[in-house]
Amino acid sequence: MVYIIRLMLIACVILMGSCSQDQNEKDSQLALMKTTNPNPIVTEQNKGVDKVKKIEKEVSSFDEIYDVAVVKGKKATLVVYKVKHMQRFNMKKIEANLNKTLEENYPKENFTVSSDYKIFLEAVRLVERKNTGKLSEKQAEKRLNEIIKMTSDMK
Amino acid sequence: MASNQKNMTPQQQKYQQLQQRHELKRPVLKNCIRAFWVGGLICIVGQAISYFYIYFFNFTEQNVGNPTVATMVFLSMLLTGFGIYDRLGQFGGAGSAVPVTGFGNAVISAAIEHRTEGFVLGVGGNMFKLAGSVILFGVFSAFVVALIKTLLGMWGVL
Repeated sequence: MVYIIRLMLIACVILMGSCSQDQNEKDSQLALMKTTNPNPIVTEQNKGVDKVKKIEKEVSSFDEIYDVAVVKGKKATLVVYKVKHMQRFNMKKIEANLNKTLEENYPKENFTVSSDYKIFLEAVRLVERKNTGKLSEKQAEKRLNEIIKMTSDMK
Repeated sequence: MASNQKNMTPQQQKYQQLQQRHELKRPVLKNCIRAFWVGGLICIVGQAISYFYIYFFNFTEQNVGNPTVATMVFLSMLLTGFGIYDRLGQFGGAGSAVPVTGFGNAVISAAIEHRTEGFVLGVGGNMFKLAGSVILFGVFSAFVVALIKTLLGMWGVL
């Protein structure tokens, strides 16, 4: 019994140690546990930066929402957010309201809205990798489309 | 209960009073606290495993439950085989039986108990003695709910 507990403790220490690798991507490592509020990005350089900032501000103004990531691509815009814990019972209603508001205010944009943790995590990773220059515009666009496809697979 | 006492002989009533005096009180509050902690800890492990699948694999919040449940059941089966889950069950009571890990424990403990009777009639025939009813009830209730949802969808209610 003591031997097994020791083994489990060693496994935990190794696991924790391995989590501290690659310190550059800190935000995404804890994206599911803390508020990250990543800066909104566009995959195409200097195209519609003000617009995504405006979109992020608008989404953040919802009382039920507390952490927002916006990524704008050539064709589609991904809006991912976290919902406050006690408001998670109204997820569908919040999503419908958000969709309606965004479509009214930006009729030309094609929005993909999600509150899924995986999509949020992938969006934060994309923002980080784009900001650190690890992804080119083309790669970022490709990754964005993959994430959007992931959201459509869930429906 | 009162009618039962009326039917008893004075000697039986006296014996019952004596028994009640010596009966150990069930530590309900202590058991509840233990169950709360053990059940909560199992859920924390489950949450950590689901985050692991979200971080390192392509599972979304909607479908991460499937591998998480499978992993938790597998872990509880291993722990039952090693004899650790039994101790946890003695300490935590319902806290270890109610989560999905209790299902794995029910399967493996029945299999271990009957292994002396052979692999087919012993292990195979008895391993779902306890858990079989859970599977049957789960499958049947899922069928009923799906049927209701389909009918409501067809009638345009949903």
